[in-house]
Parts: sequence; structure tokens; C-alpha cells
Amino acid sequence: MPLLETIGVKVRFGGNIALDDVSISVEAGSVTGLIGPNGAGKTTLFNTITGLQPLTGGQIIFNDKDVTKEPPHKRTRMGLARTFQRLELFTTLSVRDNVRVAGEIRNRWSLRTPKMDVNAETDRIISLVGLGDVADREVGEIPTGKARVVELARALMIQPTLVLLDEPASGQTEEETEQFGQLLRDLAGEGLGICLVEHDMALVMQVCQTIHVLDFGRMIASGTAESVRNNPTVIDAYLGAPESVG
Amino acid sequence: MQTFLQYTILGLALGGAYFIAASGLVVTYTTSGIFNFAQGAIAMLAVFTYWQFRWGWGWPAPLALLMVLGILAPLLGAVLYQVVMKNLRGTSEVTKIIVSIGVMLGLQALATWVWNPTSSTPRQFQKFFGPKAFAHVGSLTIPWHIIISFAIAIAIAFGIRFLFVRTRSGVAMRAVVDDPELLQLNGGRPERLAMISWAGGSFLAALAGILIQPMIGSAMSAGALTLLVIDAFAAAMFGRLRSLPRTFMGALVIGLTTTYVVAYFPSKWTWSSAFHNSLPMIFLFIVLLVLPQDRLRGATVLRLRERFRMPSIRTAWIAGLTMMIVVFCLKVIMAKTGVNTLTLALTFAIIALSLVLLTGFAGEINLAALSFGAIAVMVVYHFGISGTGAGARTTLWGILLAAVVTALVGALIALPALRLRGLYLALATMAFGVFVSRMVLTERNERELFGWKFTIFTAGQLTIPRPKIGPIDFNGQDAFLFLCAGLFVVIGIGMVYLRHSGYGRRLTAMKDSPAASATLGMSVIRLKLSIFMMSAAIAGIGGVMMAAQVGTVNADRFDIFLSLALMMITVVGGIGYVSGALFAGIFLIAFIEALNLLLKKFAVDYSTLEAIFMFFVSAVTVLPATIGITMGKNPSGAVSDIVDGMNLVKQSKSLMITVIGLEAAIWVLTATEVITNWNFVILTLANLILVPMIGGKILMARAMRGVPKPVPPEFIGIDRPFTDEDLAAMDQALNLDGVVIPSSTTVREEPANASA
Repeated sequence: MPLLETIGVKVRFGGNIALDDVSISVEAGSVTGLIGPNGAGKTTLFNTITGLQPLTGGQIIFNDKDVTKEPPHKRTRMGLARTFQRLELFTTLSVRDNVRVAGEIRNRWSLRTPKMDVNAETDRIISLVGLGDVADREVGEIPTGKARVVELARALMIQPTLVLLDEPASGQTEEETEQFGQLLRDLAGEGLGICLVEHDMALVMQVCQTIHVLDFGRMIASGTAESVRNNPTVIDAYLGAPESVG
Repeated sequence: MQTFLQYTILGLALGGAYFIAASGLVVTYTTSGIFNFAQGAIAMLAVFTYWQFRWGWGWPAPLALLMVLGILAPLLGAVLYQVVMKNLRGTSEVTKIIVSIGVMLGLQALATWVWNPTSSTPRQFQKFFGPKAFAHVGSLTIPWHIIISFAIAIAIAFGIRFLFVRTRSGVAMRAVVDDPELLQLNGGRPERLAMISWAGGSFLAALAGILIQPMIGSAMSAGALTLLVIDAFAAAMFGRLRSLPRTFMGALVIGLTTTYVVAYFPSKWTWSSAFHNSLPMIFLFIVLLVLPQDRLRGATVLRLRERFRMPSIRTAWIAGLTMMIVVFCLKVIMAKTGVNTLTLALTFAIIALSLVLLTGFAGEINLAALSFGAIAVMVVYHFGISGTGAGARTTLWGILLAAVVTALVGALIALPALRLRGLYLALATMAFGVFVSRMVLTERNERELFGWKFTIFTAGQLTIPRPKIGPIDFNGQDAFLFLCAGLFVVIGIGMVYLRHSGYGRRLTAMKDSPAASATLGMSVIRLKLSIFMMSAAIAGIGGVMMAAQVGTVNADRFDIFLSLALMMITVVGGIGYVSGALFAGIFLIAFIEALNLLLKKFAVDYSTLEAIFMFFVSAVTVLPATIGITMGKNPSGAVSDIVDGMNLVKQSKSLMITVIGLEAAIWVLTATEVITNWNFVILTLANLILVPMIGGKILMARAMRGVPKPVPPEFIGIDRPFTDEDLAAMDQALNLDGVVIPSSTTVREEPANASA
């Protein structure tokens, strides 16, 4: 049973069809890639999964429950976290406080939520993702590549079972991306489900077990990294000739 | 049947006029993203101007109409956009709301200045073709004015619809809000389009005003006409500030209901006139209840121009202590009236604290702080006073009860609007404020409910005694002054603690990015509700203190315009700071009062220049609004600038000693009555503002001596040669560490060669 399933998801903006019959699934303990050209509907799909975007049709199943009608914060409380492509950091807080406040929010989910030691967990996550050197800086001052890691750290603070990462590696240096890929593999190794939207094909091919490909709101392919890489439709729509694949 | 038809036609015409005003709101909102609170004020100004031309100077109607509708109103709209609203792109919703409220208050003060409301002859406004011109339709006789109003409304509805859907510039106007930059890339001119739409919106407001005034029938009043904006936005809300057909429906419903209430409510119901006046507010609430929840959008986080630094808890304690000392020193040298004014200012500062908490910390808006104060005052009056006559005292339990009730009322008001954007909460609170003024504070008749007899606002005024808390009696003026100062300090420090707590961080998170907060599992509505209740309670406590300082309060003390001015000045002071609230109280009450007294004193002392000084006295009424309007240029507020100055003082010992020494000298001179209190005020201001400024300049100049001016990166190599540090910085930025490059000397000399 997959951790997350979208069944025939459809989203329409006026006359524009942003998503048309998209069905993907994400397994626990693995990294699933979601790729496609700009405007293919990747972020819109994330928005529908997290509840920021209402569906025109279809279903979202998370943890065996139909969450299609649930508001965003209820879905999160079931273990679903995400990062944003256009950063949504708390710009007036420091890096550490951005991470810490996520834990504080989590501790207030409900009276029954088991409380975590926020300070200890903040320190653990910050060193886990490697933000120690910028922890006390204003979040507006750090480079974009680092800011994306802050988004990931914040998402991890709520101890999710699934994270959706929206272009986490853009703005990162090559070295940072390499460490980042290792981090994703480690997290998946511990049982976390990860869904990754990314344009850095080297990273995607390296860490993803399964890849779904979107183009103009439709699923054009889905399968293992190897099969997707050699799929002629995908090459045509997005990847280009095999040599150029990073 | 005859009556029904008659009133239906009247209601349709009134609804038509509401629609015209509402469509103006929709047009400016959809094209500039700014909700124009000044819409009613523009209508008001147009009505007064038209009256001046038509009846004041006796111009023929077509000429007066052409002048007002064809030239002045569109011009006003265009100028407002060019001078004021254009600067508001990239500012927060709070700043946008405050600036347009500033325009509203400014226009209103201007109208009261030019058309003195206490003038002996009431200004009457007549229907088109005179009061006696009727058309006969079947058995009905209908005034021509009514027919004209409805016909114009329909024409405008179709006209705007056509403009937005069928014409190129109309479509472009809608594009302005969605993405002005994209429109510009596609060859559109967003600035010009927005300006045209503001001119159009202003024209529609003026037209609505001129049509509505004779239907209301009473003498012209600047305040009542300005609040027309509420009737208009109740209608616009039916269409969610977007859909014109639904706005039209909404306007008709409001117009019809209003006239039916007049027609069919029995005249013995003493509250029916108040109810009739409050109808638009009631409608607004109903609409807010049924509007679907707003979608949380990602990527709403812009780099806003507002920046607030959070003071540390230590700084807060020092500031609190300093404030108590300063209040004490001031009390020593001040006359009794001065102490009264200062106390009143502090009570307003406490009310303003509620705004800092709500808006500064959580990003939500309450435009009717004083109305919450009114609720608290009523609770204290009925349940919180012990003793009678001169021995009457407000009890601690009374104040606490008032705070709790105010918080609950706050929850009731805010709940429907919290699901929606900040603007809707602002509108709901403003409607609540007007509702309280029109419906609650006019309740002077005895009512009976379940056998319990009561009067809500007894005799139109309530007497609130000073409090007695435990063994301490705060009846004396000095004791009460210290109570208010102490209360401000305690609440202020409490707020700084709150800001540093997990709760405070969660508030900040919600304010910075609602979308991210929700996807971290935050229940945004619960958090908003809790902060709104807390803020309402503080406003309530402040309101009780204000009433206790004044002694006997009437409805005017809780006027919506006063609430708006307080909110505006708090934003000017710096809505993110506790000291911004202090600034607001002092400025709105003490400074304006002092300035007035000073100018009037000059007018008496120098009687030859009396006219000029009296002109300035009037100008002072426009001053707060003018300052509010400038917010577009400096959204972080005045306190932010003062804090910058103070930081300089903190960093430089010599400067600090100079300022404190000078201030002590000024105080000693005043205390020993060598100089007057007026000179004390003037010298103090000079000392606190000018000395840091000049001293800062000198220090800066000294520090900068020998340091070359920084060259922007793109001009390195042109304005000055490359250095090794530049290269190292570039390498680091580009991650080229370790990459072999030609020796730095050759690189450095290249620009020199090129220029040679």
C-alpha cells in the first residue's frame, strides 16, 4: 500500500487545464521523482496534495485515508510536510527560529500531541541538514541554496512520514547538491517517504527509485529511473537527447 | 399595494446609487489592489462642492455637474493615484489600508474646515428638477430624481461590464492587478491604466454622492456622507469585490430593505431608526458569514518594505523604567491641565497597545479599537462600580470582567472574518464600530428582557469613577497618572515577553507566511482568534481608563473616526513597536492639543497675525491625516527612524552624555521656573531629535574620513582598479577556489590599458 496516492487528479484554472487525470504514488522509505518542463503542473500537484489548491476532480489518499476534503493543517497533522519552490520562509525570524517555530507549532497541534523537546530537536535537525554555520543569521541574508535547506529542516521538524520537496536543489552549489543527495538517501533509509520535484537530472537519477513525468498537466511516463531516462516520449518532451542528460 | 410599489421604486433607486458607489470601489480595487476607504469621503467632498457651485454661488445645474463630475472628481482621483497610491506597490495590506484611511480623514477634515458644520444655516440639497417634479406612471407618482438615479445605475452597470470585458483597455486594467510587470512587458502601461481607473472610481463616488444626498433628505453632514463607504462596501462584498452583477444585486437588496424598514416598521419601536441606520453593517456581517473561505496562497511572501527589529527583554525593562522616571519628572514641572492631558494620552497609548499586538505582531487589523473600549465601559458602568456619589470607585473585578466580555465580543466579531483576508477583518471591525455608534450607544430607552429592566447607554452618557484596587485608591490625579503609566509599562513589557515566547514566534510565522504555517500544521484561525481576543481585552482596559480619566463619557468619545485616527497614528509611530503605541497616544492627544493651544496663544499674543495663526489651527486638524498619507514613503514608521537615531546615541558615549546632560539642564531650568513649560517642550524636542541627528552626522563624517566611498560591484574595474580582495571575493562567489587564473597583476592592469 503506497503512503500517498493521487487518483485521477484534475485541476482547472478557468479555461486552462493545469492537471488532467494525474495519478501518482509515493512509497514510504523511498524517493519518488516528479519531473517535467516548467509549467507542467508539478507545483500545482503539490498544492493539491497539501490542500492549498482545491481539486476540480479526483482524489488524494494519504495513509489509507481520503484527505481530499481536509484543510491543509489537518493533512500536515497526519504526517505530510512540504517545502516551497518560491520560498515561504518566516523572513523576520533567524534560521534557528525558523526551524524552532515549526517544532513549537507541532507541539500545539492538539492537547494529545506528544510534546517534543523543541530546543534539542532543533539542534539535532540543524546539524543533520548542515545549517550549523548559518543558524544564527537572519534568514533573508543567507544564499538561496541554504534557504532551501532551511525549508527542508523546517519540514523535518514536524516529524513527517512524507515530505514533498519542491526544487530543493536549485540555487545550490554542486558540492551542496552532492551532500543534499546523500541526505535524501539517508532520510529515505530511515523510512521517510520523499517526493522530489527537481530540474537537476543528475540528482534525480541518482536518488529516485521511481520517477513520474508530467507535461502540460498530463502524466506522460512513470517508472524506474532507467526506464524513464530511455523513454522516447520523455526525451522528446523534456530531457532532450540522451547525451545532454546531466 | 400603492405604498409597496412606491417604496419599492424608492428602494431600487437608493440601491442603484449604492451600486454606483460600490462599482467605484470594485473598479479601483481590481485595477490597483487598493481598497479605497476614502470612497465615501470623495463622495462627500463632491456633494459639498456641488452644493457650493449650485446653491452657494447659484450656478445652473448642468454647469455645476460638468465642473464636479466632469473635471474635479476625476482630477482628484488621478492626483490621489499619482501622488499617494502609486507608492504603495510592495507594501503590506496594513500600509495600504492606513494610507487610504489617511486620505479619508484628510478629506473629511478639509471639508469641515472649508464648510464649517456649525454655520447658522443648514445646507440643503435638492433633488434634480426640484422637489416638486414628479412623473406619473399609472397610478404612481414618482420623483424624477428617483427615475434618473435608477436609470444611471443601470447604464453604469452595463457600461463598466462592457469596458472590462469587451474593450482592450478594460482587459488590460484587469491585468494590472494580476501582474503589472508582465503587462508592461506586453506593451501595456499599468501606471496609466491604474490612474485612469482611479479617476473613474472617483467620478463614480462623486456621482453616487450627488444622487444619494437628496434621497437621504437630511442636512449635509461630512461624517455621515464619509461613512457612505460602508454601505458601498457592504454591496461590493456581495460580489467579493469582483463581480459587478452580484454587486448590483447586493446594492438593490440593501436599498430595498432599508426603505422597507422605514415603511413598515411600527413607529413605536424606538430602535427602528437606529436599526435602519445600522442595516448595511448587519448585511456586511451576514455576507461575511456566507462567503467561502479564502484559499491560502503560496508565494505571498514579498520582501515587504516594512522592517521591525525586536527589542530584547532587557531593553524593554530599561525603557519601562525610564518611562516611569520621565513621567515622574514631567509631573513635577507640569500644571494640572498638563497632567490631565498626559494621563489621557497614556490611556490612548494603552488602547494603541492593543493595535500593536494585533497588527504589529500578528498582521491583522482592527479599525474600531475605541468601540471595544465602549463595550468595556458599559460593562464597568453596569457591573463594576462600588459605592455611590463621590465615594464611587471602579473595582478591579469590574475591570477584569470588562476585559473578558470585550474579548468575547471581539471573538464574535472576528470569527466570521478570520477565515478571510486581512482586509475583510478590517472592514468587519469598522462595520462593528459604526454599528456600536449607531445602534448601541444610542440605546437610551429602558428595555425589558426576561423580566430584567435595563438601559444600555443611560441618558447618553456614562460616568466612570477612578479605580480602587485593593487598598490603593487611585482617585487622585497624580495617583491615576502613575496607574496609567504603570499599566502601559506592564502591558508593554508583557508584550515584549510574549514576542520572545513560542507563542510570539508562532504569531510571527503566521504573519510572515500563512501558507507555510498551515502546511506545518498550524490552525491559523485558532491563533488569530486568540490574539484578536487578547487585543480586544487590552483595548477594553484602555477604554475604561480613558473613561475614568475623562469622568463622564458620551458616544462621541468612541467615535469611529477617532479609532481610525488612532490606528493611523500608531502605524505612523511604528506598529511593530510598543513605543509606537506611546507615540500614538502622545501625538494624537497631547501633541495636537499642545500645538492648538500654542497657535491660539500666538494668535492672541500677536493679534495682527491672528488670521495666519488661526489658519494654522485649522491646518492642524488636517495634520494627522497628512502624516498618515506619507506612510507610503516610510512604511516602517517614525519610531523606526527615532530608534536609528537612538542607536547612534547608544553607540557613542560622548553623544549620550551630551543628550542626557542637556535634558537634565533643561528640566532643572523648568523645575526652578527659569523657563516656561512651553520652552521646555520645544527645547526637549530639539535636544532629542536634533542633537543625535547633528552629532550623528559629525561622528559619521569622522568615521568616514580616510575610508574610500564604496564602489558598486559592476563599476569595479571602471571607477577603481581591481584588487586582490575583489578577485578573492569573486572567486568565492563563483566557487572558483583553486582554479588557476592568470596572475592578478595582469588582470588588474587590464582596465588601465583599456582606458589608455
